[in-house]
Amino acid sequence: MKIGVFVCHCGSNIEGTVDTAAVAAAAREFPGVAFATDTMYTCSEPGQEEIVNAIKEHQLDGVVVASCTPRMHEQTFRRTVERAGLNRYLFEMANIREHVSWIGKDREANTNKATELVRMAASKLLHNRPLLSKQFDINKRVLIIGGGVAGIQAALDCAEGGLEVILVEKTTTIGGKMAKLDKTFPTVDCSCCILGPRMVDVAQHPNITLYAYSEIEEVSGYVGNFEVKVKKKATYVDWDKCTGCGICMTKCPSKKATDFFNEGIGKTTAINIPFPQAIPKKAKIDANFCMKLQKGKCGICAKVCPSGCIDFTQQDEFVTEKVGAIVAATGFDLFDWTVYGEYGGGRYPDVITSLQYERMLSASGPTGGHIKRPSDGKEPKNVVFIQCVGSRDKSVGRPYCTGFCCMYTAKQAILTKDHLPEAQTYVFYMDIRATGKNYDEFTRRAMEEYNAKYIRGRVSMIYPKGDSLLVRGADTLMGTQVEVDADLVVLAVGADSSAGAAGLAEKLRISYDSYGFYMEGHPKLKPVETNTAGVYLAGCCQGPKDIPSSVAQGSAAASKVLGLFSKDKLASDPQVSVVDIKRCIGCGKCIKTCPFGAIKEIDFRGMKKAEVIETVCQGCGICTSTCPQGAAQLQHFTDNQILSEVNALCQF
Amino acid sequence: MKYQQELKDSIRKALPGLDVVIAWSAGYDPLHATPHFIRREEDIDRLEIGPFSVHNLATYLPGLRGKKVGIVVKGCDSRSVIELLQENLINREEVTIFGFPCTGVVDQTKIRKALGHTGKVDFCQIASQTVVIGLGGEEHKLRLSKVLADKCFSCQYPNALISDHFVGEKISPSVQTEGDDDLEAFEKMPMDERFAFWQKEMDRCIRCYACRNACPMCVCRDHCLAESRDPHWLSQEDSVRDKWMFQLIHAYHLAGRCTECGECQRACPMDIPLLLLKKKMNKEIKELFQYEAGVDPEATPPLLSFKMEEENINEREW
Repeated sequence: MKIGVFVCHCGSNIEGTVDTAAVAAAAREFPGVAFATDTMYTCSEPGQEEIVNAIKEHQLDGVVVASCTPRMHEQTFRRTVERAGLNRYLFEMANIREHVSWIGKDREANTNKATELVRMAASKLLHNRPLLSKQFDINKRVLIIGGGVAGIQAALDCAEGGLEVILVEKTTTIGGKMAKLDKTFPTVDCSCCILGPRMVDVAQHPNITLYAYSEIEEVSGYVGNFEVKVKKKATYVDWDKCTGCGICMTKCPSKKATDFFNEGIGKTTAINIPFPQAIPKKAKIDANFCMKLQKGKCGICAKVCPSGCIDFTQQDEFVTEKVGAIVAATGFDLFDWTVYGEYGGGRYPDVITSLQYERMLSASGPTGGHIKRPSDGKEPKNVVFIQCVGSRDKSVGRPYCTGFCCMYTAKQAILTKDHLPEAQTYVFYMDIRATGKNYDEFTRRAMEEYNAKYIRGRVSMIYPKGDSLLVRGADTLMGTQVEVDADLVVLAVGADSSAGAAGLAEKLRISYDSYGFYMEGHPKLKPVETNTAGVYLAGCCQGPKDIPSSVAQGSAAASKVLGLFSKDKLASDPQVSVVDIKRCIGCGKCIKTCPFGAIKEIDFRGMKKAEVIETVCQGCGICTSTCPQGAAQLQHFTDNQILSEVNALCQF
Repeated sequence: MKYQQELKDSIRKALPGLDVVIAWSAGYDPLHATPHFIRREEDIDRLEIGPFSVHNLATYLPGLRGKKVGIVVKGCDSRSVIELLQENLINREEVTIFGFPCTGVVDQTKIRKALGHTGKVDFCQIASQTVVIGLGGEEHKLRLSKVLADKCFSCQYPNALISDHFVGEKISPSVQTEGDDDLEAFEKMPMDERFAFWQKEMDRCIRCYACRNACPMCVCRDHCLAESRDPHWLSQEDSVRDKWMFQLIHAYHLAGRCTECGECQRACPMDIPLLLLKKKMNKEIKELFQYEAGVDPEATPPLLSFKMEEENINEREW
């Protein structure tokens, strides 16, 4: 092999503390190196031309560039050597900037270390082999998990782009958390009025298939060719026949069912359509409260239903859908605030969550839009809002900022004054985080025009006093203790990852952080991608965010899917594991340890062997370290390639 | 051995359904037994079990896949069978296991150390606590406890943990922990002393690979990294570095899989304390994963599974 080595100055970034000319001179002595030089900016156009020319002039068949991290420019230089006619994998990069010049000032030591890194790279290159990717067909359908505003946006954008969309929603209606909101900040427009039309679009779009009250059971396959098993949970109502007339709800005698949509503010009937604008507008029976299903007596809904759609024998159904890409838009859930003993831990009926308050404000909510104390139904005079409940609080394991609570608290303070002009609002806050467009103006309006009293400090205790509550906290600006009489306390409860997020992540083979939020491919440069090809993220499943950001991410994920599907075939990454069938003894240890299910057992002339499914393999290398006899080898990172690097470094 | 006849009867009954039953018979002299492959009824009479039944016969099982095999196991051997089952290296329905309560096996090295190279052995009698060995007309008396293998003193599983046919009464495990003295002594050494210790021990290795060939869990056989060029982990040099590297690869491949049968050490012609390395690895695994190899056929060995997060490995905030 004839290797060319190019040592980059990176202006003064590298040359400042590394003698690049000396590194190049030393490289000329390494086995296989036929040409070595130092260049000012290797990644620049003249720098790349120098590589192309050297390959031609010296008949090089491998190139080492010693410069920055491969995360920056590995792709650049791979394309450069490809332009000169070499296979892109006959290229190695030595990182002498992040790993050398930026972390040490001793020029001599740096030069030695840079030389050793180049020696390792050149040594590995001697063992590199040309690798070629394969082309495979893709299924241009997309699965979107979660029908909140982010999922709706992604579904509509994909459908408008001509893709067939499968939208799976856990509850009986799409709309998510946004559908529960009364108004939205900072414009105070009606949430359901702006979301409603989008929901109708989903229902009516010919390219969208909606599975409501359904969950993902199983995901197999790989980018371009996923197979997804969807569980359609039993509703005991034949949705093909149900017209959503609601007569069943008016006649149902079981009126104590938990009202999930209204956040438990009221009770509802066992057979239920959550709200008037629900999509699909279909009834579902809550089996825990249905007298017919519990005790075998009743069946009134079946008698009154004009379309005869009630079916008490309905079972869960499974459907399998084949898709090429998946967007996870599973949203968030509220933090379980009852861990706060100092706020009553759920014992005081007049301490409620902001989302419960939102339902109370909504005209379609259980109180018809009237603010009433849950305890006695009276209108409150003093309403106290407490921010950062389960946000920015290490003591409950939630150090992160939910980000949107400052804004909705300001909105709720404004709405309180709109509903009850006589009422006085207080807001206990840590800092006001209002960094969006027109956001700060909005919080100021709450204070200045709506006379919300903002108190900077945390609340240490809420306790009952007569038929109201006493809120005791600190005013850190005044340096005093404050006590406020409250008729109603609204807790701005922070966002937690959605229940079941971790389980779904494991099915999708994507990673999640310690709070259960899904990990994006790169915090800045790949915000909606995951590290699993073909799986994208939108909305709060990736981290708490407000409606505009969720919608933006929904569109971004859709554009990623449309971009992926703009090709008819996908190229597989050849940096995958390959099992040497001669060495394989068929023990299947690799199958057990593979986190991606990318290895299957095959029968080879009556013997069990392992085989890697190239398109599923993510190149993590766990199988190669599991296989005791080295039959599984990760291409471009084979044992021999890594050993040659070790041997180049550890010479004795 | 008092259950020998019972075992023979048991094998006689099962033999028609089996291709072969692996047991032990008398070896070339009264101090040695040899693996015994029973294919016909008349082979059964030569079966002998006792303190010389040292070999872990589970080593043969992976090579006999596809045949109906019966195997006689001591407690320690049964752990190897379980581990092989866990790793899909043998099929449960192809293997018929005969277990018996084992009261310990001898360590030939200890006899050799006591008597020197014995040459021709006239006879060997084992009474309850003594071994009488006849050499050139002379009788040598040895205390049984002086010649039993170290592993037998700390044995926790004297009865087969898995068996289709168990002969005799189950006995309770040893309460002594004498066998772990070597590990405790090793762990007390500072790092540089440990390094020097292994350097000295490994220098004796002649790379015969007897340790590997005797190991029931070494299943790569013809594909062993020790002799492969691709991947090329080891050179064929006669350096301590390569010899030691081989033993480390062996130990790493056995971490959490080794059932501590001690065959590696028994097979070593140079008396290198190879079991010590493996015991140390297993101890680490036990502390980290609360796992002991070859005890529960339903368990998954910790290093043969994938978890996003391990309970005892802190990957964050350190």
